[in-house]
Amino acid sequence: MRQYTYILILFFTVIVCFIASFDKRIKFDQYFLPFLKAAIIVAIPFISWDIWFTLKGIWWFNFDYTLGIQLFGLPIEEWLFFISIPFACVFTYYCMNNFFRWEHLIGFNNILVFTSIIVCSVIALLHPHQTYTLVTAISTTVTLIFLHFIVRATWISKASLTYLILMLGFLPVNGILTGTGIDHPVVNYNSKTFLDIRILTIPIEDAVYGYTQFLLVIYFFYQFRKKRDQKLPLK
Amino acid sequence: MNILIMILTFCLMEGATWLIHKYIMHGFLWILHKDHHDHSNEGALEKNDYFFVIFALPTIALMYFGSLHHFNYLFFIGLGIMLYGMAYFFVHDIFIHQRIKLFANTNHRYFLAMRRAHKQHHKHLSKEEGECFGFLFVPFKYLKMYHNSSKK
Ligand SMILES: [Zn+2]
Ligand SMILES: [Zn+2]
Ligand SMILES: [Zn+2]
Repeated sequence: MRQYTYILILFFTVIVCFIASFDKRIKFDQYFLPFLKAAIIVAIPFISWDIWFTLKGIWWFNFDYTLGIQLFGLPIEEWLFFISIPFACVFTYYCMNNFFRWEHLIGFNNILVFTSIIVCSVIALLHPHQTYTLVTAISTTVTLIFLHFIVRATWISKASLTYLILMLGFLPVNGILTGTGIDHPVVNYNSKTFLDIRILTIPIEDAVYGYTQFLLVIYFFYQFRKKRDQKLPLK
Repeated sequence: MNILIMILTFCLMEGATWLIHKYIMHGFLWILHKDHHDHSNEGALEKNDYFFVIFALPTIALMYFGSLHHFNYLFFIGLGIMLYGMAYFFVHDIFIHQRIKLFANTNHRYFLAMRRAHKQHHKHLSKEEGECFGFLFVPFKYLKMYHNSSKK
């Protein structure tokens, strides 16, 4: 049973959202393709980052909890992680967008981006030798600058609020992966490479890079969705 | 002591904002600030929002060098600026310009006066003329205006 741990975590994350996608009130199934394209595009840099970090020993996997199929040093589950987690996230964002009138959250973009960029930049400057912290802080800063000042995305606050709510799912999923409730963590971290500030057993960097990944998937999701149906007004 | 520095910075930022607004935003960087007055920019975002960068860079520098020296006064000056920035966006973007319909029906005279003063500032569409460049500090005449009305 043990070797199914990781794959089961992913399965349970996806299955509820997947079934709900076909609901008449939701109809997220029509957006499967734009979502898949977005997730794959974003997965490329993040999986490369993952492979590189595994090679450098910043983190490593406990293969007792995986099916044992490997690709570039990553268990197959880790590859699927970059499709299934974004799926649950984009699905949630899509639903919130459909059910709430929350366009006015735009007003918070400036405060949010201003504060996040200052905090991330200062952390990046202060921890140049902790690779995981540095890479996370830089990619978050660059992503926020790109989305706010270049793309001028209006949905940053909406996405951030969604991510905050998603933390309810993130905590158990990433908690188990990093060792909450099981004998050994599925993913182990070299504590010299990050701040070692943890929520349960989850390094704070995980939450932040998950945020960046989420923002980018939403961005590409909008892009591909726009191409798909020009007629529908984009929310 | 550090908290005191932070609060002092916060207050001094009001003066700095006044100067920056009057001489820089309505000066050589008018191109960025213009659309905040005439709303010429399409969509919800304004070029004016780029001003945040001008405030973020020194803040990052101060907080960084402050942390290098065991979080000394530089860090707290930076923190003061950051908090002022947050207050600014909160009050200016959200409350005054109602980017979010929040506290739209306030009766508090200070807030009414602040909004009134800022509207006065926005009345002028060109770069040269202008009044009420400040922000949290509201000129007394506006406070007085609402002082009387709130008594009724
Ligand atoms: Zn002005
Ligand atoms: Zn205005
Ligand atoms: Zn204004």
